[in-house]
Amino acid sequence: MSATVTADHILETRGVSHELGDFVVAAAFARGGATAAFALGDGTLRIAPRAGGDWRAVDVHDGAALALAPDAGPDTYLSGGDDGKFRRVGEAAADIAGFGMKWVEHVASFADAKTRLLACSVGRQVHLFDGAGKKLKVLEHPSSVTGVVFDSKGKRVAASHYNGASLWFVAAKTDSARKLEWKGSHTGIAISPNGESVVTAMQENALHGWRLTDGQHMRMTGYPGKTQALGFTRSGKWLATSGAEAIVLWPFFGGGPMGKAPTELAGGDGVICTFVAAHPQHEAVAAGFSDGLVVLADIGTARILPVCGPGRGPVSALAWSADGAHLAFGTETGFAALVDFSRQ
Amino acid sequence: MTDAALEQVPVTVLTGYLGAGKTTLLNRILSENHGRKYAVVINEFGELGVDNDLVVDTDEEVFEMNNGCICCTVRGDLIRIIGGLMKRRGRFDGIIIETTGLANPAPVAQTFFVDDTVRARTRLDAVVTVVDAKFLLPRLEDSHEAADQIAFADVIVLNKTDLVTPDELVAVEAAIRKINRFAKIHHAQRANVPIAELLDQGAFDLKRVLAEHPDFLGEDEHEHNDDVGSVSFEVETPIDPERFNAWMGALLAERGGDLLRTKGILAYAGEDRRFAFQAVHMMADGDFIGPWKAGEARTSRLVFIGRNLNRPQLRRGFESCRAG
Repeated sequence: MSATVTADHILETRGVSHELGDFVVAAAFARGGATAAFALGDGTLRIAPRAGGDWRAVDVHDGAALALAPDAGPDTYLSGGDDGKFRRVGEAAADIAGFGMKWVEHVASFADAKTRLLACSVGRQVHLFDGAGKKLKVLEHPSSVTGVVFDSKGKRVAASHYNGASLWFVAAKTDSARKLEWKGSHTGIAISPNGESVVTAMQENALHGWRLTDGQHMRMTGYPGKTQALGFTRSGKWLATSGAEAIVLWPFFGGGPMGKAPTELAGGDGVICTFVAAHPQHEAVAAGFSDGLVVLADIGTARILPVCGPGRGPVSALAWSADGAHLAFGTETGFAALVDFSRQ
Repeated sequence: MTDAALEQVPVTVLTGYLGAGKTTLLNRILSENHGRKYAVVINEFGELGVDNDLVVDTDEEVFEMNNGCICCTVRGDLIRIIGGLMKRRGRFDGIIIETTGLANPAPVAQTFFVDDTVRARTRLDAVVTVVDAKFLLPRLEDSHEAADQIAFADVIVLNKTDLVTPDELVAVEAAIRKINRFAKIHHAQRANVPIAELLDQGAFDLKRVLAEHPDFLGEDEHEHNDDVGSVSFEVETPIDPERFNAWMGALLAERGGDLLRTKGILAYAGEDRRFAFQAVHMMADGDFIGPWKAGEARTSRLVFIGRNLNRPQLRRGFESCRAG
């Protein structure tokens, strides 16, 4: 018997994969956790049951899907497309709202015991809806919105755009944004779990952050490429980012990230990290690279577990189930997989 | 990865002053049966009469790059839209970007130099400028943009020629040539140029342009003023790449504001491939293209289109890049 374990070992022993033939735009798990979904460039959603079984295709957009998120409810998804449609997808797809020629570029949701919220961005506007899909309000921005995120309590929603970001209180009677200003084109956004920091990705291969408590600016630079994915670990201690030839993790503790060097993991191959997804339970991060490699990196020990070897296209989507047991990922050339990390 | 995914999508930029006939041309491109599918990025949707799922409506959003260069402005909306269109690559053969009538073409052209993803996935095929034969001369008097749009053009559609006398047409064409001697000019009425003559031209392949303008080294009327003009140079001796980069880098840094477009084909010493160089203001880019043909004279050529061009100084600079 050969003792060699290939980089595909986890995929082969714990994964289900398909060649779907179109750009995997995004991946997500339903809030109830029963399924994962992949949004594709052909406008379909492919829904994969975690318990196994066939993947189901749902026609959603007349064009490309551009954004995907779990719905506020347990079993359905939210999808935005270049056909101007913001749709809810379950057994079939149904309109929540339509925007004509404009693209629906970002979607997001929030759900807890009391509150359910949906959001989508269209041009310069962020549209907010209740859980049933009834329009609550429209938030106007000075330029096109490039990212939308709720904070961890569903109290605020933040949007990135040119020259900074805007932070809105969802329940405010009169809407006025807290403007977070920094010159340049901001292309994506994240909020720390404690709600104290907002971080954006920038066109100039850098990140910019604002500490909301005292208005302190945070600059994080040195990336050879653009950061496409950024997200905090569950504890909020680390901000995981793509865009370098390693997973770049910025410390948001002990006075950081200002004046601190980031931790770099899974580097050394000279291949750009194209996507990251922080684990929802542990201090670990899944990362995809431009050669198709997918790894799981443990931050504390710096141990790297290969999940899928190179060769199936640049990784364009990664998502964890809320319990952290399943990882979904996809590539620009249409490879998609669902991997089970639970004890077997 | 498949070849189709790696192939760069050709992008045509369509400019032209208000009322010149851009929309007429776009409607033709979208409705005629020419066997090609184009994704079209527009900003004045109301004027288009064609329903097409590949039409993208956008607001021009120009921003300055934080790289210390004030003329480095790019179209942020295009970076997003091209990223989105790449998710359904394979559904179209090319991309056409319409600019508003008053737009300076520089930000849209510079977008193709600045963004890594855009550079990797697309190539700027040509800037096509639609010009109104009847109203060009007064436009040139009262707006900077009209001259800039002609200066940036690889292809010019001289439209509405039926509305002017033959003498007026000669005068208009002379005015265009004074600004840009290198663009290909098509005469048209109601924008009736064969679509195949405009799109997927590889107009940035300067060799083709030079081949069609053997007289391009003709003496120009040189003026030290704000008019846009064009000059070109040839050097027979091979070029030293380091000297060229040093000279061009310094020239663009100092004079980039005046240099609207710079293009060249260079014969580097000890290199069998042609090096194609192009710049828009301060943003420069270059790559090796096909090899020199056997027996072909390895002449390096450089073209400048811009304001305040100092011909002797530029010539001396280019000649100082000779190897050896």
